[in-house]
Amino acid sequence: MNVAVMKTKAEQAISESFEAAAEKLPGTDVVRERRAQAIGAFSSLGLPHRRIEEWKYTDLRANVKEIFPAALDDAMPLTIAELIVALGPLAHVDAHRIVFVNGHHRAGLGDFADAAGFEVAALGELLATATEDVSADLVSTPEGGDAVETLNTAFVTDGAVVRVTEGASASKPLLIVFVRTGGSASSVAVRNFVTVEDGASATVIEAHVVLPGAAQDAQLNALTEVTVGNNAALHHAKVAVDEGKALHLTSCDVTLSADATYRNFQFSAGLGLARNGLNVIFEGEGGKIDLSGGYLARRAEHIDTTLVVDHAVPRCESRELFKGVLEDHGRGVFQGKIIVRPDAQKTDGKQMSQALMLSEDAEFDSKPELEIYADDVVCGHGTTVAELDPDLLFYCRSRGIPEKEARALMIESFIGEAIEKVENEQLRGALASYATQWLGRSSGR
Amino acid sequence: MAAVQETIDQVRKIDVDQYKYGFETLIDSITAPKGLDESTVRFISAKKGEPEWLLNWRLEAFTRWKAMTEPTWAKVHYPKIDFQDLYYYSAPKSTEGPKSLAEVDPELLETYKKLGIPLKEQEVLAGVQGSRVAVDAVFDSVSVVTTFKDELKKAGVIFCSISEAVREHPELVKKYLGSVVPQSDNFYASLNSAVFSDGSFVYVPPGVRCPMELSTYFRINAKQTGQFERTLIIADRGAYVSYLEGCTAPMRDEHQLHAAVVELVALDEAEIKYSTVQNWYPGDAQGKGGVYNFVTKRGDCRGHHSKISWTQVETGSAITWKYPSCILRGDYSRGEFYSIAVSNGYQQVDSGTKMIHLGKNSSSRIISKGIAAGYSQNTYRGLVSAHRKATNVRNFTNCDSLLIGDKCGAHTVPYIEAKNSSAHFEHEATTSKISDDMLFYCRQRGLSSEEAVALVVNGFVRDVLQQLPMEFMAESQKLIGISLEGSVG
Repeated sequence: MNVAVMKTKAEQAISESFEAAAEKLPGTDVVRERRAQAIGAFSSLGLPHRRIEEWKYTDLRANVKEIFPAALDDAMPLTIAELIVALGPLAHVDAHRIVFVNGHHRAGLGDFADAAGFEVAALGELLATATEDVSADLVSTPEGGDAVETLNTAFVTDGAVVRVTEGASASKPLLIVFVRTGGSASSVAVRNFVTVEDGASATVIEAHVVLPGAAQDAQLNALTEVTVGNNAALHHAKVAVDEGKALHLTSCDVTLSADATYRNFQFSAGLGLARNGLNVIFEGEGGKIDLSGGYLARRAEHIDTTLVVDHAVPRCESRELFKGVLEDHGRGVFQGKIIVRPDAQKTDGKQMSQALMLSEDAEFDSKPELEIYADDVVCGHGTTVAELDPDLLFYCRSRGIPEKEARALMIESFIGEAIEKVENEQLRGALASYATQWLGRSSGR
Repeated sequence: MAAVQETIDQVRKIDVDQYKYGFETLIDSITAPKGLDESTVRFISAKKGEPEWLLNWRLEAFTRWKAMTEPTWAKVHYPKIDFQDLYYYSAPKSTEGPKSLAEVDPELLETYKKLGIPLKEQEVLAGVQGSRVAVDAVFDSVSVVTTFKDELKKAGVIFCSISEAVREHPELVKKYLGSVVPQSDNFYASLNSAVFSDGSFVYVPPGVRCPMELSTYFRINAKQTGQFERTLIIADRGAYVSYLEGCTAPMRDEHQLHAAVVELVALDEAEIKYSTVQNWYPGDAQGKGGVYNFVTKRGDCRGHHSKISWTQVETGSAITWKYPSCILRGDYSRGEFYSIAVSNGYQQVDSGTKMIHLGKNSSSRIISKGIAAGYSQNTYRGLVSAHRKATNVRNFTNCDSLLIGDKCGAHTVPYIEAKNSSAHFEHEATTSKISDDMLFYCRQRGLSSEEAVALVVNGFVRDVLQQLPMEFMAESQKLIGISLEGSVG
């Protein structure tokens, strides 16, 4: 049926918001043109809804009622001390830093000038000076991009452009911080590029944090494009911690060359409605990836993890482990798709998604999908969903551990299994303390 | 790991060009005029002498169908079907109400003999002492004969064609028809509701254990004819029935359409076992011809402690689109789905199940094995869901697939939706995780892990398969024997 669907209020607001912001968004004429094309494409696509298979469980058309004005200036003051407060446990991670406040680079807060192995720049500044060709590359919608990625092209203001030079081995991680602050809700679109050249290795941590006291509502659209060269390795983490109402739409597109290694860990807590998209494609033989994550949702929070791993070439290995804890009306969504192309023999793919439900009203929807066209492969997937095991709880209590503590212990060990995947010790510690904090605020059921 | 040679050989034995039921019976038929409009629906209804309410029911379905579009979400590809280029009714001329087997056209009897289906009551399947199966034979659009009727009657079991049930037991048909699969359920179910021609009807009264296996054998014979049968099985309180379904078709160059609807209703403590050996003509080695099998099968565990179990062995059809489901409405109800789907040649299979948990403490189990060879595509698509109020529900799903050759594809698309915390769902697709304890036990007793895995999986399927008629049994056993080695999620 080809019935023209009425535009929702939010879709209308997005178009209006673009018209208001278009003049002030960074970039030369070619960029302007790209943005105009993108918003045109968006108005025919509309917000993704449940009739679109990939968005079956996360219906933006139904859930996004209001659009906040695009954050166009970076007037909000932020001191180093405030940044440290916003970073919370992450402040203890010893790393170089590039900081964005409400989607705009704040040079004074960064510390990356002498980051060995890294070449770091801010996208907004590049757009102001780059040639037409470079700008066009920076502001384009990835092939097969959906409505959300299209919106990113239309509205993107800034982001980190990171290069790890050939053969370099960066000893200290790079922390890309996006801080949200200010009393009025706004809508932020950022885009990062991480390129790890042949033989290089590095750790990049992307953090989305909020300064206490900022507006409860916020909208974020972040897109990260990662390229890992031959024999190169990237440890990538994304940490998003908010106060329970923010709309958080992110996607990360990764391309791996031969014998490349890529690890990604995603930690989400306190996000009102989140979509963490991750698309990985193997373009060279012998690639290895490990994607994992932990998410915590309570009240009416909704966290969606959607993965597509495309084994396009032979002899690659993929591992996925995602764990979620759901409380109150919290809802977890996991969609994981592994594609094994006809020639991708000797593929080894394993996927696991587990959810722990702490309240009667929690909901978990899972769709672990396999699409296999090659015969000499090992692929497996698993999904489990359950409440805390009463036998285990009883065991703990019979050993003298009070029920509340026993529950906390069990939840911590459940989520801990995912956090274990993080290789950077300081980051692992920071995530563990986030989890503990979250549990501390638990209603103690 | 690639598939072992033994497996490859076994699959080859049931390859598309080995199809042995492809003969055609030359028999005079009465057909409805080609095409589909309201008059076709009226023609079918009049031909069967149906009461007014059923005609209206059909017409309502037809009106709804006209407003619907063909579903495209399944992972199958085929040229658009021209629904006006089909015959919707075809009946052998000689079957105008045969009173006994003696009056049935000998040509028809010969056909069933060739297929190995016993229609004479005194015939006992070779080598199976004391096993008797009551058969309802459906040839194109009509049921030609139903055996063992009298004996079943003594037990109170009603087993007849659905047209007969409409005449003899209208109150039951009226009450249950469309109560599980409504007229507007989906494109093919609506089409079926409008033009269904025949099928089987079973009613097992309270507390009765059906004394024998019931079976329906479907045969598409006529050219360019769609078969739209409708089966309705009701197990009243505490009743038990086991039902088998088999199907074959001649080899033809053009595609044939088969759009059936099966409705099962299990009341309190009742149990229905439904087994299918689907062996429609799959098309030739080049993918020419074959049956489009678009079937809606659904069981409703309406009562507490009721149980419905689906077993399917799928080897035929050019395209299979079928999801036998269980609505677990009753508290403590149980649904089971065991499936072996083998695709070869250019076959496309998109099959699976839905387990919809609405009742408290309901449980379900899904075991699915897909084997793809040649140029075929084999997809498992399943849904397991727990309603907010369905506390303490359990599901275990295991689906394995095996690919033979690098031109075919095996896909898994499971949907798992848990809307309350006490739901306990497990989905897995790795053979080593069937049950570590069981495997360990077997290995401890000296079985290799391969043998142990086969033993465990076959243990689930076997007890149902063993009750299939001999003719089906031989085929199924070939499939059961297929090694799991080299299987992928």
